[in-house]
Amino acid sequence: MHERLSFYVHRDSFMHRLNPMTKLTLVFGLILLSFAAPFYWTPHLLIALGILPLTFLGRVTREYFSAAFKLILPAAGFLFVMQALFQPLEGRELFRFYFLHPTLESVMFAFSNATRVIVMVSSFTLLLLTTHPSELMSDLTRRGLPPQFAYVIISTLQILPQMQAKAQTIIAAQRSRGLDTDGSFVKRVGSLVPLVGPLVFGSLVEVEERAIAIEARGFTSTRAKTSLREIPDSSLDRVIRWLLVALVIVAIELRIWLS
Amino acid sequence: MKIKIDNLCYTYPAGVEALSGITLSIEAGEQVAIVGQNGAGKTTLVKHFNGLLQPTSGSVLVGDWDTTKYSVSKLARRVGYVFQNPDEQLFCKTVGEEVAFGPRNLGYDRERMENLVRDALAMTELGEKTETNPYDLSAAWRKMVALASIIAMDTDIVIFDEPTTGQDAVNVARIAHVVKALRERGKTVITITHDIDFCAENFERVIALSQGRVLLDGQANDVLGQDEILAATYVDPPQLTRLGKRLGLKTTVRNQEEFLAALRK
Amino acid sequence: MAVVNLQNVTYKYPLTDAPALKDINLQVDEGEFVAVIGPNGAGKSTLCYTLAGFVPHFFKGELTGTVEVAGVESHTSTLSEWVLNVGLAFQNPFNQISGAKYTVYEELAFGLENIGIPRGEIKVRVEDTMNLTGIRDLADRSPYSLSGGQQQRVALTSILVMQPKVLVLDEPTSQMDPIGTREVFGVIRQMAHRGLTVILVEHKVEWIAAFADRVVALKDGCILLEGTPSEVLTSPLLAENGFGISRYTSVARKAQEQGLWMKDKLPVTLDEAVDGFTLTPGPSPKEGGE
Repeated sequence: MHERLSFYVHRDSFMHRLNPMTKLTLVFGLILLSFAAPFYWTPHLLIALGILPLTFLGRVTREYFSAAFKLILPAAGFLFVMQALFQPLEGRELFRFYFLHPTLESVMFAFSNATRVIVMVSSFTLLLLTTHPSELMSDLTRRGLPPQFAYVIISTLQILPQMQAKAQTIIAAQRSRGLDTDGSFVKRVGSLVPLVGPLVFGSLVEVEERAIAIEARGFTSTRAKTSLREIPDSSLDRVIRWLLVALVIVAIELRIWLS
Repeated sequence: MKIKIDNLCYTYPAGVEALSGITLSIEAGEQVAIVGQNGAGKTTLVKHFNGLLQPTSGSVLVGDWDTTKYSVSKLARRVGYVFQNPDEQLFCKTVGEEVAFGPRNLGYDRERMENLVRDALAMTELGEKTETNPYDLSAAWRKMVALASIIAMDTDIVIFDEPTTGQDAVNVARIAHVVKALRERGKTVITITHDIDFCAENFERVIALSQGRVLLDGQANDVLGQDEILAATYVDPPQLTRLGKRLGLKTTVRNQEEFLAALRK
Repeated sequence: MAVVNLQNVTYKYPLTDAPALKDINLQVDEGEFVAVIGPNGAGKSTLCYTLAGFVPHFFKGELTGTVEVAGVESHTSTLSEWVLNVGLAFQNPFNQISGAKYTVYEELAFGLENIGIPRGEIKVRVEDTMNLTGIRDLADRSPYSLSGGQQQRVALTSILVMQPKVLVLDEPTSQMDPIGTREVFGVIRQMAHRGLTVILVEHKVEWIAAFADRVVALKDGCILLEGTPSEVLTSPLLAENGFGISRYTSVARKAQEQGLWMKDKLPVTLDEAVDGFTLTPGPSPKEGGE
């Protein structure tokens, strides 16, 4: 059973060694560039010259392509088809099939949008593949994110698999009381309350005890918090971050200037 | 209703072999305690009795039903299973509704259901608390509600998974009383327990499991006297048994009456 | 020197009519080991929460009387000050794992990070305490991959690492199997040897007799009885009031009625029982070992 939910792959690479904030800046930088830059082929270039090289640098190519084929490409592909076929822009019609009449313009538009989606999801995937969640949260907390926020995210990641296991036990317990979990749809909807009820109530009991436990370990103390792990932030990290900010600013300026 | 297990083997999907060839029968009306360290296979074995698990090889017969041919909710007519954590079962607004849930699922007619519920509440001394929300009760009382809700199903076989954890002496006595009442009605009672004193005082037959196999199976007095073998599965003998041994008593004793009788000789 | 001082303490949870604690008077000296016994609903957990400051600061409700523990006082100190001085552990080990950390080592450091201990000192304290409680080999594992007994030992260690002056333990072995129980009591024994003030709520009478300097019997929110383990655990008041007593005690009491127990004092532990019954006139028992 997985003890936690995460994409993180433990390896030593350039990307892994980067500061989490830098990687986060990279994610937003890539997204903003794909939307702000005025050239049509920007998103595609960002994938070819940005995302793909970074997966090599992060030594997570295999995992990235696995996620790409299973999740990213199907999602983007679906978006592409929907936009191309059902939101025709004025222009040169490509073909007619009943009520579908896509134009070249709409296909081009859909293609660039779909690619932007790929950039967006891919950059987040890259972040998650090369950054341990606790490292990310630690760094953000150090920079001002409220600790309660970070706690909720990390504890949810760890406790959700436990809740899954608990849900399985609840299903077993209620079936043992004669609850029929197969059968008609109506029956199955009716059997939701006995399954969800214990999960919710049991979790409330747990949450209260856990709140006491973390309180007993000073969680709401007003003293300045320290951190066990030092998360390095090198000058290279800072350079990369400023570079990204500069690129985004240039792209926005270019767009304004060219329009 | 007899339970017949023939060369039962079970391997979890992850690959762990939890049961390696168990063969035994439990006759109707027997009181059986299953003991052994965590991981010995106790829960795995017992989950085969109501179909929650299906044998990897071998067979399990509950009466004339082959458990591979019946769903869990069908087998619930013959086998009631009280889970260890009551919070994994309780969801109704009142104790009364909760206890009626099982019998209702089994389709009993109104009169029978009301009788069974009233009876189960009386047996577990929950009569005063019928309109209370189970989650307003303490954890110990919630365990009693879970117990009552299975008893109300009136199954021939009842399984208790660690019924006495977290219970004080008064509640342990109540649970012992429930076991006795079930025995008097001819029900088969099977319990998994770490509380070896509770086991000694209430169960006639003890099965000790270790690493997926039966280590010992027999009358409580015989099994509980075999210290070295029990130690292999991290089971300490009951307090009075230990005392009897230290004093050199000739028979293995497992409760007060036996101890005092043996002392007198 | 009294490190715990409760005087005329009465407490009512919010939205309830009956007080959970009624006029409790309890003093505990530094280094003492006090066991608290009582039936379900006696107020043992409420007492633990009061000793740790969660009553009234976490649970609200009405608290009257004086509660002073290790230099903090209930009406004037904040909960943050309480947790620096009093450690609290309870039954369910799973719920005591913060969920905020991925390894046991980091889990142990969690509390110290919260109270602002410098990094160097965090490492020293974590290493020392891990060695003390014997969980060094679990350091790199995920807390969620551990057994119940291991998780409870981690929970206890993560409290110890905060160096409290008083330790309050609410039925820490209730949900453990025999191995887990032994492991947890092993850690408690360590803490007692170090001279920590310990208040332990427990059902398992044999262990109490082995560790406790004093036993307090609680019933319906009041202290029914207080004294040495021998005095309290053999008192007839216990059985009359629904407390669990050692089987050695109850069998010896019965034997006494039948003239088979010769001593005045009733036994609590196995050894005491063996001693007493060996004096019984009759066929001499073999010198057999266990």
